[in-house]
Amino acid sequence: MLTFTLRRLASGLGLLVVISMLTYTLLFFSSTSIARNILGEQATLEQIALKEAELGLDQPLPVRYLGWAGAALRGDLGESWFNGEPVTQTILNRLPVTLVLMIVSIVLVALIATALGVIAAVRRGWVDKTVQVGAVVGDAIPGFVLALLLVTIFAVNLGWFPAVSTIRPGAGPEAWIISLSLPVIAIVVNYVTSSAQQIRSSVIKELDKDYVRTLRSRGLGEREIVLKNVLRSAAPAGLTVLSLQFIGLLGGVIILEQIFAIPGIGPLFVTATTLGDIPVVMGMTIVTVVIVIIVNLLVDVAQGALNPKVRLS
Amino acid sequence: MNSTTKKVGAIAAVALLLAGCAAGTPEAEETDGGSARGGLLTIGQLGDVASWDPAQAHVGHALVPYQLVYDTLILREPDGALSPMLATEWKYNDDRTVLTLELRDDVTFSDGEAFDAEAVAANLEHFKASNGRQAVQLTQFESATPVDEDTVEISLVQPDPAMEYYLSQAAGLMASPAAIEAGTLETDPVGTGPYLYDKVNSVRDSQSLFTAKEDYWNSDLQKWDEVELRILGDISARVNAIISGQVDWTTIEAKSADQAEGAGLEIIPDYQVDWTGMTFLDRDGVINPALTDERVRQAINYAVDRDTLLEQLQLGRGTATSQVFGPDSGAFVDDLEEYYTYDPEKATELLEEAGYADGFELKLPVIPAFATQITALAQQLGEVGITVTQETVPQPNYVADVTQKKFEAFNFNLFQGEAWVAINQLISPTATFNPFGTTDPELEALISVVQQGGDDSAEAAQDVNRYVTENAWFLPLYRIDQISVFNPETVTVVAQTQSAMPSIYNFSPAE
Repeated sequence: MLTFTLRRLASGLGLLVVISMLTYTLLFFSSTSIARNILGEQATLEQIALKEAELGLDQPLPVRYLGWAGAALRGDLGESWFNGEPVTQTILNRLPVTLVLMIVSIVLVALIATALGVIAAVRRGWVDKTVQVGAVVGDAIPGFVLALLLVTIFAVNLGWFPAVSTIRPGAGPEAWIISLSLPVIAIVVNYVTSSAQQIRSSVIKELDKDYVRTLRSRGLGEREIVLKNVLRSAAPAGLTVLSLQFIGLLGGVIILEQIFAIPGIGPLFVTATTLGDIPVVMGMTIVTVVIVIIVNLLVDVAQGALNPKVRLS
Repeated sequence: MNSTTKKVGAIAAVALLLAGCAAGTPEAEETDGGSARGGLLTIGQLGDVASWDPAQAHVGHALVPYQLVYDTLILREPDGALSPMLATEWKYNDDRTVLTLELRDDVTFSDGEAFDAEAVAANLEHFKASNGRQAVQLTQFESATPVDEDTVEISLVQPDPAMEYYLSQAAGLMASPAAIEAGTLETDPVGTGPYLYDKVNSVRDSQSLFTAKEDYWNSDLQKWDEVELRILGDISARVNAIISGQVDWTTIEAKSADQAEGAGLEIIPDYQVDWTGMTFLDRDGVINPALTDERVRQAINYAVDRDTLLEQLQLGRGTATSQVFGPDSGAFVDDLEEYYTYDPEKATELLEEAGYADGFELKLPVIPAFATQITALAQQLGEVGITVTQETVPQPNYVADVTQKKFEAFNFNLFQGEAWVAINQLISPTATFNPFGTTDPELEALISVVQQGGDDSAEAAQDVNRYVTENAWFLPLYRIDQISVFNPETVTVVAQTQSAMPSIYNFSPAE
């Protein structure tokens, strides 16, 4: 199990290096007027040249990348070119909000989807039909449309929730709960049916297998078979879907955070990318990739624990 | 119910009662100065400041955050009149090249440094050297010399009729010289202003919190205990926030104005600051020879149906116009308002006279904010044979590309400021939005009279307006109504002339 984990970790680090290089290169080629944007409309050509030298924009790409990567290895992600705030600080201020939003949502999705999927598979009937239809609808409606709908009804018209986040640094738990409710609901509604559909299919597939018949013939109760044996075999498929959804959420929350003005990484990503604030964009990219690697690693380890065959492949 | 439960219940009830009382306490309280201060003012701001260094301050929306923490030398009243602030009085010498300011002697910066003539000199020099976004404000600044502790002389290279105005704007914001020296202003503002920046409770690009500074020298200007700037870049977030009562003021778009009014909010009436339309940059034909001929530029002005565009794009919330100077600018000329009327036949004739009977191609850069407007213009110009080709450019490059002479014309919402400010922004050979430096001796003579600032200055400014309108330097479409919306139950707001956002001093607690 340890070698397996280490192997996965090593390939994750390789991915990190490749993605950071690719992102840096792409940013390099789209960063023509950064110095002017920083200095403003009236900057003279000499000032722009000075600023470019100061930011290292006059150096060749490999030199710039190595300089950035060297500092990043020492834990220094630099400072924003536009507002001088240290990138690490900026990300630390904002990442917790986004992570709470994502983790709460995905845990709820996992719980509800598993329950729905298993009931749909075992009982069939109307629950099954609802999950099937819901999967199509849930996939078709974009998350932000749902979010706008929810905010119009429950925040603007009914006033049950704040329309924009009330989370401040040091805000109490109630601010978090009421501010994140609507976005979490939007995510859960958007994601739950398609995961339930996946879990339903794999539970049905397992139920058809020989071992289930054997267990039944030994007189084990249906409930015990489903919860102890079938779910364990069906779990890897469900986990894969959930991990993919979690990673997909990294993109999805950007729009949700804009709509609800949540102080997470979303609005920061948008602003930094529009401005061409390379240190911030790079910092955010690294954090995102690290999250993806950790999620994949956790899923792989969980899968390995559930099913020893995975460890060998 | 046992006795413990009863006790807990009683305590809870008392606690609730107390909480209720606390919540019921009126928010306004008497301060030492005797004027009533409001509780928390929450402003739905369009964007965050890039740097708290006042040398990087901007105008309009972007100036207000600085007003919270910094005072300006001169105060600009809502109607544009200039009043004492850190400077108590000021006067020019005869040739208007030396401006002498008398300063308050009872003001200190929030780091304990004294505000004095040295501080003014340090700030003006810092502003000039930093070359920030409003560097143009100190174009004519030569030096600042302290005469004594509370007198300073500002020497100008040439007269600048907007100098006093600039000292009420970005160039007049005063920061602690010690903080300038230390280079820490970017993230830690240190001023003499009415509020202190609460860095710990603020998150960049999300929210900034300010608390009233104790013993601020002018309690009349300090109307709130706390001010919060919520950074709401997303327009639907701003609309939702104001309608649901989470912010007291914000700015929205015309299409949401009816919804806001329906929800009991108020919109500041008759609040126009920007004009929208096209600026013909390449009037000497470096990129597009057709634009050298004023008949071509006039034809474009006649080919456009301003009223329809105003109705379609802005739901009628604005005023169609043919001039780029606003009613409060001092250069406004009544009969230029409808100088160009919708007359496609005249447009066709003018194009024929100019030798473009078969039309010509006009290339415009496009960013999402102006995509609809440009498409509507393209359709109207197409009807007189002018083909508009659109080139999408990345938003951050838009203005940079224009100032780097990459385009022959461009569409923008532009500020209608004081005559001299507008001339420097749009018309003079060194103006930001005259990148090709096109000019004419007649025009330069007029500009020079405006600059001398004497009795003829106002008339000359109107003549400048007449010149650029008749020669069709621009395609003004209409002045845009600012949809500056507030909750009348919590706040009273007064428009600030020629500023896209009311000054922070214009927000008072509702009666």
